[in-house]
Order: sequence, then structure tokens, then C-alpha cells
Amino acid sequence: MIKNSTFLHFLTILIFKERVRHIGVVAISIVIISLLTSVLSLSSSIERTLQSALDRQPDFIISRVQRGVTVNTPIDWIDKISQIDGISDINPRVYGRYEFEPKGKSFLIIGVDFFDEINKRDLKELLDEVNLKEFFSKDSMIIGDGVREFMSEHFYDNSFSFKTPNGKFRDVRVYKTLPKETNLISNDMIIMPIELAQEIFGMGEGEISDISFNVINNSEWDTILTKIYLLFYDVRVTTRDEISKGYSSLYNYKGGLFLILYIITIITFMLILYQRYSMVLSSERRDIGVLRAIGWSIKDVLRLKFYETLIIIFISFILGVVISYIYVFIFDAPILSQIFLGDENIKNMVSFRPVVEFGTLSSIFLLYTIPLLASVLIPVWRVAVTSPKEAML
Amino acid sequence: MIVIDSVEKIFNQDTPQEFQALRDINLEIESGETIILSGVSGSGKSTLLSIIASLDRPTSGKVMVDGDLISKLPDYHASKYRAERVGFIFQHFNLLESLNVEENILAPLITSDIELPRAKEMVKRAMRVASIEHKSKSQIRELSGGEKQRCAIARALVREPNLIICDEPTANLDRENSIKFIEIVKTLKQEDRTIIIATHDPLFKSLDFESRVIEMEDGTIIDYE
Repeated sequence: MIKNSTFLHFLTILIFKERVRHIGVVAISIVIISLLTSVLSLSSSIERTLQSALDRQPDFIISRVQRGVTVNTPIDWIDKISQIDGISDINPRVYGRYEFEPKGKSFLIIGVDFFDEINKRDLKELLDEVNLKEFFSKDSMIIGDGVREFMSEHFYDNSFSFKTPNGKFRDVRVYKTLPKETNLISNDMIIMPIELAQEIFGMGEGEISDISFNVINNSEWDTILTKIYLLFYDVRVTTRDEISKGYSSLYNYKGGLFLILYIITIITFMLILYQRYSMVLSSERRDIGVLRAIGWSIKDVLRLKFYETLIIIFISFILGVVISYIYVFIFDAPILSQIFLGDENIKNMVSFRPVVEFGTLSSIFLLYTIPLLASVLIPVWRVAVTSPKEAML
Repeated sequence: MIVIDSVEKIFNQDTPQEFQALRDINLEIESGETIILSGVSGSGKSTLLSIIASLDRPTSGKVMVDGDLISKLPDYHASKYRAERVGFIFQHFNLLESLNVEENILAPLITSDIELPRAKEMVKRAMRVASIEHKSKSQIRELSGGEKQRCAIARALVREPNLIICDEPTANLDRENSIKFIEIVKTLKQEDRTIIIATHDPLFKSLDFESRVIEMEDGTIIDYE
């Protein structure tokens, strides 16, 4: 504990007088802390956004499989499934990637039945602003921000000509662009009426991509699965848990990156430790000897260095965290966001949802504080325990 | 009263570099007495001072200060003894170069429970006694040898210890500053403090105040005055 005002006064003087020596440690610390915080904040923000998207996912998705490959699912499967008790919210889905061959880019087209209650619920915010009559009067689509950007770069400002598998072109008008805030999920997305999507993908009227449904009673899940497998022999069932795992493996960089950064941090601290040793062997060694000679105990010397280092850590930590939050949530993490999200397809200009995770911040603080304190206090202790006369030489 | 009883000090014991610095030292110093430890370099004066100041421990024998055995104190108590009861003035001053005069003198008070306003008063008083008040804000590197010496004296006096130990205090001073130092010692003597000075400066052989000269050679006391 800080003993009194005299100690605090002396501590402040020492930090101020030796500020030049501290600048290097503070600068390295800020870089490490802001990098760690940026990565973790980014990953938390992405995780939260994806989690909210995952919450809207159906319990089950079934699709037809032939030769081990997913193929179009017959729409009459819906009638068969609806016979099973306990199943609700059955919904046909049509989606797939549309390749824009000249540039090697692709869009994710999602066909939506705008009159279906479930779709309406999922797209509530969006559909409230859509004039359905106007939307259907011409073939229209709602596009993600990345798609809009890409289209305008290629002079498709108000409409786009999709090439269908039979070689015909289908002009579709841009009705609306999805808000930038949804970019993480909707950047390369095109939402259009289900029939239009079927036409663009060259699917027959009776064909869909897959069928989603919910089972309200969780304890019935296994029974329902058994019934599905008895009903169809060429079916693949995907559960919400499997979708969740898929998301995790896709976006859960946290563990891996955290580990890498931790190793970098530790190596850096080992270097600081080494540097610290060298410094202690010269002028600082003499100063510790002088303090010991004029009546400071080993504990007093360690206490002074402990608080001195702790203040440096606090300054570095606060600055590091503030810089990282400005970088991630105000400037949308340039470079780092591309590492996380990838830009091999359409460039994604995501606005990250601000997330403050106190657990993560505490972990970073401890991860940083303990090695740095050790790197300072161990060499200081080694000098302090030697004879003051020897240390002063 | 300081009682030094059969003190021996051997450095690097049981190694080829073994060296006996002190041999069977027996000495009694009364409170308020001024002792001049005289002798050539390597005679053991500094080692004896270090042991009295509890900066070092004797290999054998014991040192009692005002009835307390200080030669075998654990670190915490040895530090407390140095802080509260001893003022040490080193040959090379041993000041903290990054701090100014005032801050150097404040340093021994940091480990005490004295609050800042009182500590500042004590620093001012010590600077006045050592005649270094006018340089209170100066950096150590800006001081002359004599000023550094006076800063070291103020630091030694700031906690008002009864025992003042000086190791070759005038070795790095010119004659004028050496005489000034002796004047300060005279003031301290008048305050009835016990003063032990290790020196081979002849100026200390003809002091105009009562003192006892002890001659050392090869780690032993060869002559009492």
C-alpha cells in the first residue's frame, strides 16, 4: 500500500524525472495492448452480430442429396413433412451464389416468399419499408451495400442483367440497398422474390434449395429426426447446432489469434526483461544501492518499483484501449477488418457494433501486468538483496 | 554508546581470493564522542564503518549500539537502524543523479511515516545546517564537489540521527571545502552527536574541538590517542 503523501510525492517525482526511460516501455505497451484489444473487440463484435443472426435460424434444414452432393429439393416434400406432428414454420428456401464471371466475384441470392409469415418476421424491419405492390409490379431486388458498390463500379446503377443457365438475360431493378450496419451479413446479399430467384438459377417451379422448419418441443428433436429419415432416403438434415458450429469455425478466430498474440506478447516481454536486466546492471543498480544505504529496506525498494511500474502499466493500458476502440469502432478497423472478413470476393465495408467486454479487458490487463511487473521486480529484487556497498560500486 | 567486541571481517572466505579486512577489533565509543579513524588505504577503516552502520556484517564478533546488537540484524531491522539512527556520508557522495538537491535530501524520509509538509520542513532544516539551501532546486550534475558534499551531509542529517559516520569525507574536496566540512562537524559535535570519521586527511589531526584519533593498520587498531 502507498504509505503516505511523502511516498506518493517521491513516486511522482521519480516517474516524471525518468520519463525518457519510460517512454520506450509505454510505447511498446500501447502497441501490444491496442493490438490485442483491437483483435478481441473486433472478434467480439463479429461474434455478437453473428449470434443475433444465428438466433433467427430455424431448428432444422433439410435438403435432397444425390451422389453425396446437395441437389434441388422437390417442393412436394413440404406436404410430406407437414404430416409429421410437432413440426411448425415449414418454409421453402431458394438461394445460391450467382457468379459474375468476368470479375470472378459472386453474390448470394436469397429468394424470399414475401407473403410468408416467417419471412415477414425475419425481415420485419426491412419489409415495413417495402411497398410490396410497387416491389412486385416490376422485377425488383434488395441488395447489400457491397453489391451496390460492386454494381456501380461496373455501371449497373439502377438494375442488373442476370444471365440465366439457358443463356437468356433477366433485368432486375434495384429497389433498395440494405443499411451499412448489416454489412457483416448482407454485404454480398441480394434478396428477391422466390420465383425470380428460381428463374435466375434455372430451377423448375417445383424445385427449391431446401426446406427449413422448427420443432417447438426440444425433447422431440430425436423422434422428429427419425421420422424424417424414415420418410426420405436421400435427405441431409442440418440442425441449428451444426449451423452454429459452422459459424464458429468460420469466424471464431479469437482462440487462434489470441494465442498468437499472447506468444508475441510474451516474447516481447522477455526482450524487455532482458533489456531491463542490462539497465539494472548500470545506473539503476547504483541508485538501488544508494537507497538501501540510506535506510531503504528491500521491501521499500520493491514497493517503489511496483507502484512506478503499475502507474506506467495503467497509463499504457488506458491509452492502448482508447486507441483500439477509436481504431475499431470509429475508423472500422482498416486492414484488420480485411484480415478478419476477407476481401477476396466483394469488398466489405463493415461498421462494427461497439462491444465492451470487461472480462476480456481484465484478461488483457492481467496478461500484460504480470509479465511486466515480473520483468521489472525480479531484476530489482536481485540487486536489492545484494550488499548496498556492492550495488553502489 | 557503541561497543565493538572482537570483530573480524573476512571477505571471500574459503576461496583463493580470501582477504581478512578486520582482525580482533575491540573499541568503545561514548555518546557524543568524535572519533577520527586514521590509517592508509586498505587498513580497514571503511570496513569498520560499514559494520557500525550495519551496511555489512562482521564474520565474527559483535557490535552493540546503545545496548542493541546491530551486527546480526535481519534486513528490515538493519534498514530501519540505518534510516533512523545513522547518517552516513560517503567518500563519493553517492547522490541520486536524476534528482535535484532537495529531492535527494527527501529520499531518507520516504520510508518513514512522516507526511509531506513535515518532511519538507525537515529537508529545509537539514539544508540550512549544511548550507546548501540556495541550491535546493539544482540538479546534482550542476554542483561543485563541495556542494555535493554539503548535499550529502544534509541527506545524512535529515532524520536527525545521533550517529554520524563519514567515510573519507574530504578526499574529493579542496582545502577550503575541507575546512567548511570540519566547521559543520564542529556544529554537529556541539549538538552532542556521536561522530565517526575515517580519513587520512592531516587536517583532522589538529581539530580545535575534542576528538579521539584511532590509528588503524592492516585491519587492526594499532594506536589509541
